[in-house]
Amino acid sequence: MDEFDFARNVTVGQYVPGRSVVHRLDPRAKLGGFIIVLAAIITSDSYIGNAVGLAAAIGIVVLAGIPVGYVLSGVKPIIPILVVFTVFNFLFLGNYDPTGSAVLWRQPVALGPYEFNFTVTESSMKQTVQGVVRIIALIVLTSILTLTTTITGLAKAIELLLSPFRVIKVPGHEAAMILAIAYRFVPTIADELERLMKAQASRGADFGKPGRLRFIQRAKQMIPITVPLFVGAFRRAERLIMAMESRCYIGGHGRTPISLPALRRMDWAALASATVFTLAVWNFPWPL
Amino acid sequence: MSEPIVQVSGLWHWYLRGTPLQTVALQGIDLEIQSDDLAAIMGHTGSGKSTLVQHFNGLLRPHRGSVRVFGSDLSDPKLDVRPLRRRVGLVFQQPEMQLFDPTVGDDIAFGPRQLGCTPEDVRRRVRTAMERVGLGFEDFKDRYTFGLSGGEMRRVALAGVLALEPQLLVLDEPTAGLDPRGRRQLLDSLRAIHADGGMALVIVSHDMDVVGEMARRVFVLAGGKTVMRGGVREVFSRVEELRELGLGIPQVSELAYELRKAGRDVRADVLTADELAEALWTSSTSPAT
Repeated sequence: MDEFDFARNVTVGQYVPGRSVVHRLDPRAKLGGFIIVLAAIITSDSYIGNAVGLAAAIGIVVLAGIPVGYVLSGVKPIIPILVVFTVFNFLFLGNYDPTGSAVLWRQPVALGPYEFNFTVTESSMKQTVQGVVRIIALIVLTSILTLTTTITGLAKAIELLLSPFRVIKVPGHEAAMILAIAYRFVPTIADELERLMKAQASRGADFGKPGRLRFIQRAKQMIPITVPLFVGAFRRAERLIMAMESRCYIGGHGRTPISLPALRRMDWAALASATVFTLAVWNFPWPL
Repeated sequence: MSEPIVQVSGLWHWYLRGTPLQTVALQGIDLEIQSDDLAAIMGHTGSGKSTLVQHFNGLLRPHRGSVRVFGSDLSDPKLDVRPLRRRVGLVFQQPEMQLFDPTVGDDIAFGPRQLGCTPEDVRRRVRTAMERVGLGFEDFKDRYTFGLSGGEMRRVALAGVLALEPQLLVLDEPTAGLDPRGRRQLLDSLRAIHADGGMALVIVSHDMDVVGEMARRVFVLAGGKTVMRGGVREVFSRVEELRELGLGIPQVSELAYELRKAGRDVRADVLTADELAEALWTSSTSPAT
């Protein structure tokens, strides 16, 4: 394992070129379909329904021809958060269960002057498990969206989806542009970070662990990285502004796309199957 | 006494290994650097030059093959590479981007302070390093880093690496983006540093004029492989092969080559303007003879 190989662990924001069905879908249909499937995953209140949602997300990964392991490695960075989240939810959520479902386990704890209960109810257990499954499914879905869609395609799709809100003065084009620029620079900044860490390590900087609770030392270690990183980011932003202005960029008002292909049969089929899937997950009488 | 300090054999390296975006960067590099070397690594963009030199101080570890630097085997995952980074100074492309301290002196002192040098020693190292790159210690040590010119900033960055007092100095495209005066000053400093002794110099470049002027030995990379190696005159006399690789030769050598093709009797291994003038003067086709 290489010491400074960051790009390897960043899956969100990467684009993996390919010729699969998922790659070839129109970005508008793809984004719409993903939102519909997402609705199924985050609203289903059964164990099996959630598992089916996760399975569907992984099924899309397989369909796109991208290694499942690579997509799942994007979950790795948030495992610590997931663990803390799960432990706390598991022990305490039952105390605030408004549904009045059956109590599975209750343990009063006295810690010095504090007294409280660990409570697990049927509904709190479900909430905890579903929370984890939903977050993983969410990351898998969003990764597969960016892994198979170019940034420009995605920006156009977002702009289109936001266009109905123009009546209430939502700047859809600007929002899409900001998003596209932010995405565009994730890999650039990651590269820059890697380069700076290597350069400073070559000058004797040590980015090893200074001990878990020594935040100040940790922050000090990072100054030789953060200062040039920000200086570079501002320089790059200025250059981008110059480039946009010299092309007479003025924003969304009155701009039209060079081509606006109609959705093909494949795109409608994808949207329809996403809708059918979601309705099925909602209405199926899951036993658990 | 010269002895090998870097030995690379059969080195392979992949970018983003284990992901769908995996690409091969190095495929079987062989090379060695001597302790008093003045070598150049040439190759056009994407030939693997920068990837290769990042193995010299353990920023990258070999994926296949072996790299030995000052006797340490970098394939050993337990090897602590930090002592190696004091002995091998690596100056990245556009090193002025890595400056971070508001004052010049403190930025150069970063390395020695990380090594745990005493304040007197830090001061001595900073002074020596600044003088070696042609920045007066008293004039520049309290100057505002981000207010310097591009050429000055690059020299500050070079001084920051020299302050580590390495035994091998590796520079990646040292003259890229400098104006003619900045370029000249930098190359003069580098030549003086090498002449002082005790330091091997490796220059990574696709600027043939820099290579022709500075290097004694040349390694040519293409597609992640070592395709040519040898003395600088010998390598630059293989003009057709270099052109095939998308590389050229120094402008003066190019002129000599064209003159020879046009039927003039000019030596094949001309590197500098003075040498060309002499070669033309003494040639059998010269009007002077």
